[in-house]
Amino acid sequence: MKRYETPTSNGDIVLSTRVRLARNLKDYPFPARLGVEDREAVNNLVKDALLTDENRDSFDYIPMQTLTPVQAVSLAEKHLISPEFASDSAGRALILAKDEDVSIMLNEEDHVRIQVIYPGLALEDAYARAEAFDKALEQKAAIAFDERLGYLTQCPTNLGTGLRASVMLHLPALAQGGTMRRLSSTIAKLGLTIRGALGDGTRAVGDIFQLSNQVTLGISETAAIQNLNAIALQIIAQEKNARAALLKDDVFIDRIWRAYGILKSAHMLSCSEMTDLVSLVRLGAAEGILDIPLETLNRLLVEMQPATINVAEGRRCTAAERDVIRAKAVKDALA
Amino acid sequence: MLCQNCKKQEATTHIKRVINGETTEKHLCTDCAKKQGYDYDGFFDDFSLSIPNIFSGFFSDTPLALAGLRQDRCATCGSSFDEIIRTGMVGCADCYERFYDRLLPSIQRIHGRAKHAGRIPYTVVDDKPKAAADEKPQAEPTTEEKIATLQAEMQKAIEAQNFEQAAVLRDNIKALKGEA
Repeated sequence: MKRYETPTSNGDIVLSTRVRLARNLKDYPFPARLGVEDREAVNNLVKDALLTDENRDSFDYIPMQTLTPVQAVSLAEKHLISPEFASDSAGRALILAKDEDVSIMLNEEDHVRIQVIYPGLALEDAYARAEAFDKALEQKAAIAFDERLGYLTQCPTNLGTGLRASVMLHLPALAQGGTMRRLSSTIAKLGLTIRGALGDGTRAVGDIFQLSNQVTLGISETAAIQNLNAIALQIIAQEKNARAALLKDDVFIDRIWRAYGILKSAHMLSCSEMTDLVSLVRLGAAEGILDIPLETLNRLLVEMQPATINVAEGRRCTAAERDVIRAKAVKDALA
Repeated sequence: MLCQNCKKQEATTHIKRVINGETTEKHLCTDCAKKQGYDYDGFFDDFSLSIPNIFSGFFSDTPLALAGLRQDRCATCGSSFDEIIRTGMVGCADCYERFYDRLLPSIQRIHGRAKHAGRIPYTVVDDKPKAAADEKPQAEPTTEEKIATLQAEMQKAIEAQNFEQAAVLRDNIKALKGEA
């Protein structure tokens, strides 16, 4: 079962939780100044440190050159790797859990990027899992560290704990009320950031936002996690209030049913149109207006992205072909 | 429009990049786009403003960045401070030590005047208590501890049939017991 298929805590608003730790080996220059041979030495060292006889069967070790560009982009669409990591495969490798809840990028911006992705709001659990890998790594390898600056990273923005934690939030009611801009500036003052998680950055497609910590130096992992969790819970409470107010409006309830109607009957659906419609339907499902499991909708948001459809089809489809395939898959999922 | 690269086929992929306010456009045919790594249905266009470019903005107006300190290089990886500023990427762990004073203003601009408050790797933790543990027994072993050590040594001496040394140790133990 993949992570986005399991129901969980605050799942009506929180799609997923992600924790990432950036680590580097002391004895090698950072990846940008590392040749392919040395990068491979780093990959092997980390692989041997993290994959043991007990856990080897539940992970895949994937040298990135063995993937097609479309397969790599599909992994980026699922947020398992960064778009940058997908764009260049030289000397890079991925340790990926078979159920896709752990993804460790080797020689991305840093030698090691440990990522744990859990459904719902699960910051503490996700951090604990990431920390276990971190501890396993430092048993076997000397880690780049400085007492003043903490874990040393290629980009100084990650110095300190090297921890980036985030929660992906579905906030249709807050976005509808136009409060996101104000919310975003309040959040910035607290050392956090919130931005659209999907689409091109000009607007938050599907009203899905990513809330994450910004500051990594001078704050402990526990404090950063607790801080983020507290703010996430506040935003969730605000979204719940806004939803309650919004759903008193028949005009808005009509929009939800119309979105459902289009998804059930369209012959072609572009990715952004589908995402916006699924967002409305997801709100209806979360609030008991529509009887559709949230997991079904979460799955559509992940699996109906362009490269992921190409991978599933085993060929490079045109955009128009994909829109037909997408519309049919959505129809089937909602039948 | 023909492909800018091969100038033979019709351009089908159009790439517009805005980096630090500067717009560049590329028009390529499908084959050339593929060769140049744009084989992603426009997926990467949104990421053309790369993180290093954003970060180098943090450095650009530090007075030290402009000072004539360009020739120093990190002995480990060969990076100069100039290169670090330009790319926004530090070369290796030792660069942080080598260029600490010059990096600090930029680090503080990102993180404030902060000192690391999080986890410390085992390798670093282990070194310290070990050093402390080495010093402690030398500084203040109690009489009982001394006796225990000598008794263990005596036992070893007996097992090795080194009776002369065992006798010396026995006398020492007796003397210590007298003290206590």
